[in-house]
Amino acid sequence: MKKISIDPITRLEGHGKIEIFLNDQGDVENAYFQVPELRGFEVFCQGRPVEELPRIVPRICGV
Amino acid sequence: MENFEPRIIGFYCNWSSQIGVDSAGVEGASYPANVRLIRVMCSGSVDPEVVIEAFKKGADGVLVLGCHLGNCHYRVGNYNALKRFQLLQKTLDQFGFEKERLRLEWVSVAEGKRFAGLVGEMTEGIRRLGPLGQIS
Amino acid sequence: MGKLKLALYWAMACGGCDVAVIDTHEKILDIAAAADILFWPVAMDFKYHDVEAMPDKHIDVCLFNGGIRNSENEHVAHLLRAKSKVMVAFGACAQLGGIPGLANEKKRQDILDYVYHGSPSTVGRKGLYPQEVTHVPEGELELPKFYDAVMALDQVIDVDYYVPGCPPEPARIMEVVLAIVTGNLPPKGAVVGALDKALCDTCPRKREEKKVRAFHRPHEVLFDTERCFLEQGLICMGPATRGGCSDPPRCIRSNMPCRGCYGPPPDVKDQGAKMLSAIGSIIDSQDPEEIEKIIGQIVDPLGTFYRFGLPGSALRKKRFS
Repeated sequence: MKKISIDPITRLEGHGKIEIFLNDQGDVENAYFQVPELRGFEVFCQGRPVEELPRIVPRICGV
Repeated sequence: MENFEPRIIGFYCNWSSQIGVDSAGVEGASYPANVRLIRVMCSGSVDPEVVIEAFKKGADGVLVLGCHLGNCHYRVGNYNALKRFQLLQKTLDQFGFEKERLRLEWVSVAEGKRFAGLVGEMTEGIRRLGPLGQIS
Repeated sequence: MGKLKLALYWAMACGGCDVAVIDTHEKILDIAAAADILFWPVAMDFKYHDVEAMPDKHIDVCLFNGGIRNSENEHVAHLLRAKSKVMVAFGACAQLGGIPGLANEKKRQDILDYVYHGSPSTVGRKGLYPQEVTHVPEGELELPKFYDAVMALDQVIDVDYYVPGCPPEPARIMEVVLAIVTGNLPPKGAVVGALDKALCDTCPRKREEKKVRAFHRPHEVLFDTERCFLEQGLICMGPATRGGCSDPPRCIRSNMPCRGCYGPPPDVKDQGAKMLSAIGSIIDSQDPEEIEKIIGQIVDPLGTFYRFGLPGSALRKKRFS
């Protein structure tokens, strides 16, 4: 099947891509949205002093 | 660990510990060749950056030797070493370094045998732990 | 001479560095007048294939923010390096690994296990993890490889300049853009948009003598808002942090001690080690037991001294034996 990739998605915060599969008639058979990013804040914040959290978690999203 | 010879970097100060280290030879107290000795003016001048650099460059252990507390040639240098070393030890613990890999010891002019003993002990301790492995 | 061909990209990023560029407010029009922006995912709809189609060195300057967390980040770093004359590591994540670099204290698998299965708000399906290749009835889908550790940009490509900060101050960004446009950059490898001294040089607080008998956490004391934080036993990264963010430093002015986001001062390779050396020397005690107690009051040295620069530090990550 023909695949159209929209990569990266733009004008928003974050990484994402969209894969669109077209059938022989040229119609959309299926479309998938993927988020190709992971940083793990929920893991590395564990064990940190509580007063540091307000300094760490704003870096989840700078917008 | 088969055939693993620990590599230990030993920073020793120019004053008490130099004579102490030297007297090990004079007293005939042998110690393993696993330690590479580097002379510094004062244990307090050993920067934590240098200790970390030693580990990065392949040391399996780092030993820092200074005068006994109260006997520092520069009065307070060894206190600086003690404070920096303890904080470094706490930090390296969070980095996953076993305690035995970093030691700070006071060696007086008469403690040649003791110096030889602690090098032997540290070598065997690190031999049991195994190599530090590649850092980065 | 034509307009400057500019690209801005975010790898393992939060968007803050891009917002900092936008926070130049009306001066962004000056940037737009001086430059043709060829790639900027937050603001413009150019795609990776547009970059791939460019000739090598087509882009004059690339401002690359975000660290290297996965294979896509690395791939785009190499791509933009090939297409750009000048590559700038923009912001703390690109320069040093940044706050998400704290993940280097954890094992890769532990992160995946918690995120996809362990966390209370996740309903994970048994054995389900993101895959690099997923087969669906229509074809194949790909995801980048999640690396074992975060890396700084210069650990994967050659970097020409560094603009520090989390995020870099908008006023400093304008100065850097001006330097680029007027051809006034220092030799390659320099840190630009900051001073060549420690933060303490720009700090407005009163300093007397640094003799600390105890370290405190902010909720434990009511501290003096005019006096140096460190002197009052509150950990401030000022001595081991490059100054020049703003004058006076915004964090200090907002009653928060410096956390080190501008990275180490010149000639310091490991910001964390330098800071702990400084802390050691200001402890005012000659009693080994008391020294031990005071050091016990410093919680989480790794997280505090290596907050922004764990991947870029000498040790880079925790050692799992």
